Amino acid sequence: MDELLADFIAETREMLEQSGTELVAWEADPSDKARIDTIFRFVHTVKGNCGFFDFPQLERLSHAAEDALAECRAGRREPDSALVSAVLAIIDRIGAMTDAIEAGEELGGKEDDALIAALDAGGPTEIQSDVTVQHEVVDEASEDAPAKGQRQSVQRSIRLPVDLLDEVMKGVSDMVLARNDLARRLREAGEQPTIDGPFERLSAILADVRTSITRMRMQRLEHLFSSLPRLVRDLSNELGKQVMVDFEGGEVELDREMIEMVRDPLTHIIRNAIDHGIEKPVDRLKKGKREIGLMRFAARQSGNQISLLVTDDGNGIDVDRLTEKAVAAGIYSQSEIKQMSQAQKLQLIFEPGLSTAAEVSSISGRGVGMDVVRSNLERVGGSIAVSSKPGEGTSFHLQLPLTLSIIAALTVSSDGQHYALPRSYIEEIVFGSSSSVEFAEAGERRLVTFRGRRVPCISLADVLGTESNERCDWESKTLVLIRLASDDVFALAVDRVHDHEDVVVKPIAPAIMATRLYAGTTLLDDGSPMMLIDLPSIAQMRGLVGELRSKPAVIEETQDKEEKAATPVMLFAGLDGRKRAVRLELVRRIDTVYADAFDIEGERAQAVIEGRIFPLAGIEHGALPADRCRLLRLSDGESEVVYAVSEVLDAAEMTEEIVPSANDHSIEGVTLIGGKPVPLIDGHTLFQRHGVPQRGNSPLVCRLPQDSEWARTILEPLVVAAGYRIAGDAEEEADLAIALAGDTADETAGARETVRLRPDPEDTGDGSIYRYDRDGLMAVLKRVRTGRAA
Amino acid sequence: MNELLLMCTIAGRRAAIPALRVQSVLEIDTITPIPGTCAYVCGITPLRSQALTVIDCSLALGFDQPSNSPERRAAVIEHDGHTYALLVDAAEDVAQATSDPVAIPGGLGEGWQRAAIGMVETESGPVVLVDVETIIAGPPALAA
Repeated sequence: MDELLADFIAETREMLEQSGTELVAWEADPSDKARIDTIFRFVHTVKGNCGFFDFPQLERLSHAAEDALAECRAGRREPDSALVSAVLAIIDRIGAMTDAIEAGEELGGKEDDALIAALDAGGPTEIQSDVTVQHEVVDEASEDAPAKGQRQSVQRSIRLPVDLLDEVMKGVSDMVLARNDLARRLREAGEQPTIDGPFERLSAILADVRTSITRMRMQRLEHLFSSLPRLVRDLSNELGKQVMVDFEGGEVELDREMIEMVRDPLTHIIRNAIDHGIEKPVDRLKKGKREIGLMRFAARQSGNQISLLVTDDGNGIDVDRLTEKAVAAGIYSQSEIKQMSQAQKLQLIFEPGLSTAAEVSSISGRGVGMDVVRSNLERVGGSIAVSSKPGEGTSFHLQLPLTLSIIAALTVSSDGQHYALPRSYIEEIVFGSSSSVEFAEAGERRLVTFRGRRVPCISLADVLGTESNERCDWESKTLVLIRLASDDVFALAVDRVHDHEDVVVKPIAPAIMATRLYAGTTLLDDGSPMMLIDLPSIAQMRGLVGELRSKPAVIEETQDKEEKAATPVMLFAGLDGRKRAVRLELVRRIDTVYADAFDIEGERAQAVIEGRIFPLAGIEHGALPADRCRLLRLSDGESEVVYAVSEVLDAAEMTEEIVPSANDHSIEGVTLIGGKPVPLIDGHTLFQRHGVPQRGNSPLVCRLPQDSEWARTILEPLVVAAGYRIAGDAEEEADLAIALAGDTADETAGARETVRLRPDPEDTGDGSIYRYDRDGLMAVLKRVRTGRAA
Repeated sequence: MNELLLMCTIAGRRAAIPALRVQSVLEIDTITPIPGTCAYVCGITPLRSQALTVIDCSLALGFDQPSNSPERRAAVIEHDGHTYALLVDAAEDVAQATSDPVAIPGGLGEGWQRAAIGMVETESGPVVLVDVETIIAGPPALAA
């Protein structure tokens, strides 16, 4: 919303600037029709936008001006200098309001009525009032002078042609390569402190510039996705249907320009899906579907293409009806239709002038639609494909190009050469030599079994034709498990996996494109080129992609998930070697530390990782290893605890129910994973026992009696341990003040809450707490802490 | 007439490329091969922040022998938004054409005929003026 608002402000301001000259010209000649038209358009646009953003005052002003100007345009009223002044005053006011909106200030508006009244066709007396009004506006502006200065610091935006950005981007890329070249030469020349310092600075600046330039053009797809739930909701309400939306891949970044290009086609597809595809709740129940329809949007990036899959679980496209219509509209003859394959018939949806809706609704069905969608997408170099199963749903597969894109890539090598794989497709990397991987052969096809899944396996060297399958030593390879946007999985064998990095993808020449093996090229930091592998295309050539996605499987899958609610867990072996599990959400990361990082004394156990002290759990199961130890760093969102394990085993899905254990509170219960019972660590108990609240960025402030030795040496550590900061001086505002009974009241001034401590264990009935009543004190500290958080 | 030409040697014969199309002449340092492409595409080579597609002119004309050049000189040419490096045996000089390209009765021989705009006279004798688009499109079997 904020972004939309910023757009609105930028647009209004831009129009204000443009209309500035028009206004002056209009003032010189109030009867100039062309000027009136321009200014009319301005106020009209402002009015439209205001309604959208709910700025009633702004809307009222622009509406009044629009009315008056419309009168003039229609010839019912002669524009005179009074009107000109009145409109000018309103436009000034719009400018002032825009500034106020940007700065987040109140709009004011007591003089708006006078401004509007001045528009009314009237005698010279009105002009009089108009003049004073204008005067007021000016006055207000001058009073606001300091505030204006403040507004200047507010983030401003300008619009730039994309070509210019491209040029700058290219320049920066060249600069980076020149920098790298220079860096190499400097290294060869040896240490030169006078040059190295500035050079380092130059490098850092260049890196920053590069990042910001890149960000200039890119926008996360989320921005597009965020507007869709509302659209879907409105449409489904209007049509009496219930539709749920599901998004995946919102983090994919796309050229701003491209995002705008997809918006309309996507809106069209959604309209069609809700209007024709998804059935009414009653009909859905009759068919045994859930009454709420589902629309899924999944985006993936591959090379210089974004693939966007839009799926609904509605009635599918009625092919018979489509062909009937095509014949009726005279696009194809009956005999031509007969020769078509099912897929070809489905393609008819993109023919101009066809619609399968039985009746035309206000939403869609006027026969303009998919053909426009397709031509719009093709115009920007994209493509669209459709697949549908009667009664089960439709999916549209959009491919969008990225003229300039940065993608996260995994660099691998095959036959001594480096290649990049788009990371969005990569699910997992496993070594061929791993004991959990088994190879098998079926005909000419290699298969690999991993974690109970048997997937086809191809070797990159074989795909590229540099090494044949027969000579391939599968065990020595590294397998990259690839999951395509269509949910097809296969394993790609490469010699080595090197690194992951963000690469700028550049288009490749048609002669190389013809191989259908590569999606683009990229330059590494040392200036050497590297090819980006086109995984979907390779999968297609090797026949690893199903033509139509089997829809029922997908639908069942989502239902399964709801029924069983699979929870991801991490399996590990505790220090005693027993297998245990912990909910994956709790695991922040896995650390490996040396034995000297531990500090254990009696009940208290801690570990030091990267200069921070963490409470240590899990040591009750056995002795710590002598040299190195694996630690799971668990977090409940606030505090962190490390859990010592002897081995981290695997991630798994927990689908079976948890059988709670009555005696052992350290576990939630026992569940079956892969048919074996595994105790599940109870996060609640763990953090209750070991967790200490992490010190936030703005800790609460507590004031202690300053002249008391006892408060400083005994009370202060306790208060600090509870997450408080001790107030520095008496003036500082404190969240809590602790005073000793009998102290004067001024100690506690400026604190939100006060606690008094008494030296006597006996309750004196004044709400004070005995100074060694640890539980009572902690309870107060906790209450204040949580009270503020709430 | 009076067109500037880049004089070079392709497949052992003297040839000329319209100099207006040539951005620069480059001595190629390293070529990153691209497996799976046709033989006439040698690979890619970096030029500043660009990646050039390296094309062997001799193979692109349909000859069996690749270009034989110790210096690996190439003419940098932009076509259809992509930049190519056309690898030649040698690229020596820029000369002025003293005639318009003319067709030779009886043709220029296999390979040459297809890629030639015609023959032009220069001060150092006649040369074949080649069409860069045809070279980029590759040998006849593939261009068809």
